Amino acid sequence: MELHELSIQQAHELLSSRKVSSEEITRAYLERIERLDPQIKSYVTISKDFALEQARESDQRIKSGQGLTPLTGIPYSAKDSISTRGVNTTCSSKILENYKPFYDSTAIKRLKAANAVLLGKNNMDEFGMGSSTENSGFFTTHNPWNFDHVPGGSSGGSAAAVAAGLTPFALGEDTGGSVRMPASFCGVTGLKTTYGRVSRYGLIPLASSFDTIGPMARSVYDVALVLEAIAGHDPKDSTSRIEPVQQYSETLKKSENLHGLRIGIPNEYFVEGLAQDVEFSLRTAIKQIEALGAEVVEVSLPHTQYAIPVYYLILFAEASSNLAKYDGVRFGLSERDGDSLMDVYFKTREAGFGAETKRRIMLGTFALSAGYYDAYYLKAQKVRTLIRQDFQKAFETCDALITPVAPTTAFRIGEKITNPLDMYLSDVFVVAVNLAGIPALSVPCGISNGLPIGMQIMGPPLSEETLLRIGHMYQSQTDWHMKHPPCWND
Amino acid sequence: MSKKVEIQVDEKLVKEIALLARLDLTQEETEMFVSQFKDILDYVSVLNEVDTENIPPAYLSSANKGLIREDEIEESVPTKEFLANVPQAKDDYIVIPRVHIEQ
Repeated sequence: MELHELSIQQAHELLSSRKVSSEEITRAYLERIERLDPQIKSYVTISKDFALEQARESDQRIKSGQGLTPLTGIPYSAKDSISTRGVNTTCSSKILENYKPFYDSTAIKRLKAANAVLLGKNNMDEFGMGSSTENSGFFTTHNPWNFDHVPGGSSGGSAAAVAAGLTPFALGEDTGGSVRMPASFCGVTGLKTTYGRVSRYGLIPLASSFDTIGPMARSVYDVALVLEAIAGHDPKDSTSRIEPVQQYSETLKKSENLHGLRIGIPNEYFVEGLAQDVEFSLRTAIKQIEALGAEVVEVSLPHTQYAIPVYYLILFAEASSNLAKYDGVRFGLSERDGDSLMDVYFKTREAGFGAETKRRIMLGTFALSAGYYDAYYLKAQKVRTLIRQDFQKAFETCDALITPVAPTTAFRIGEKITNPLDMYLSDVFVVAVNLAGIPALSVPCGISNGLPIGMQIMGPPLSEETLLRIGHMYQSQTDWHMKHPPCWND
Repeated sequence: MSKKVEIQVDEKLVKEIALLARLDLTQEETEMFVSQFKDILDYVSVLNEVDTENIPPAYLSSANKGLIREDEIEESVPTKEFLANVPQAKDDYIVIPRVHIEQ
């Protein structure tokens, strides 16, 4: 078995019995990245020296046998919106091209404390605005399963890196599907956490009321190990949840079936526009989950069709406010060839932001401006309440809901980039979860024409344990998560 | 039900918003935004169908109620590290072009 094929748990066993060193594993990944990433383009920054330094430190710790965690010496990568001290954090935007944070985000700090090894930072749609990574200010990431297709977005670089064996796990970030959708397109497991389960401190914000950091890995079990390390209250993020973090991996080890769980299938997610191959895979997966002992019932989420317009209106508004700080004064790009401070603002923002970012800043500024606020922003926030109530009602009778992640498999590079509205509609099954602030897991459940298909398992706030249990039991009976793209063996 | 808002999306509106958003759009971008704004605003107007009478807006995302913490003194970021990202600095201050210009 090659080193990049090891699961986190397998690597941990070899590391703690000192059959392999963290430096060897880290070097194996760095070598693969150097060799394969020029075609896939999943990394914007490779922190080689820093990674080797961390790996050697982990090896010392393993030698001393003190304070070992399941992630000691395990390499990983992070979406480039998650601040890393001394390592460029660009959000794949030209406006932050040379920005080096002087502090770590809490999620990174916790992984550092667990002695995980940061390999580098992953490409994304600029500031998280997109569903394909085509909006990156630097380059487009290719889907490892077929280089002519997108990896999904906005955490497309993280998903592609996990799928291609260029990292064992990655931290993604989900504002409106940005972990789940690329996980589905690339055939990996991704968790959108409950809003507030993982601290947002040091996460460069897109839409502050939606943003969540979540793990992406090759199995539900690996996702659970990462979640245990990064979740929990943080005094630096007042919205981070105070409830204790569960020992998810222990629950998974003990679970044998899904008896006693009731799972709802929302009618509104199996509609026209859902591709036949995706529907077939989902229906098959639901039967397998039923066979594991769960009771499956039909439910309704009547306001589903309004999720996309509500999501985008609120996102435009929050994003335009959050992106006001990029003004060329304190950090990032600064165009200084004008006469006044106002010139710096206009020229920096014109040169530094890409087309989609400008479009969303414009639409958000419009939605928040005097005269239009009630009709757009306030209206959207009211319909958001109705969408939340739909979920609350469904969870009165169900422990979880199962739906597709995306209506199709990964689309072609270039297919939707000229029509922004068409691109927005690819998020139709993922955005409602962010409106409600609930968790959702994306699990591979099929392959069609060489491209992966994902299943989405949603639950009420803080139901991560249940979602992981369902996903883990499903993966114990199926091997879709064990299938790899052709470049896996290169 | 909120009343329908009639909006004339034209270059004038797009330029006004660009001014508020501090974006120096090219003529090509302005024209593109006019047509895309029309499509997107037309699409989101579907929300007018929804009866939101007596429905409160969903402002609060956090589940934490009245969370407070001790105001403890912590070490702040060393000025040098902070200034490493500043485009132009002098004597530990951030340098910007003049704010007022004599007409």
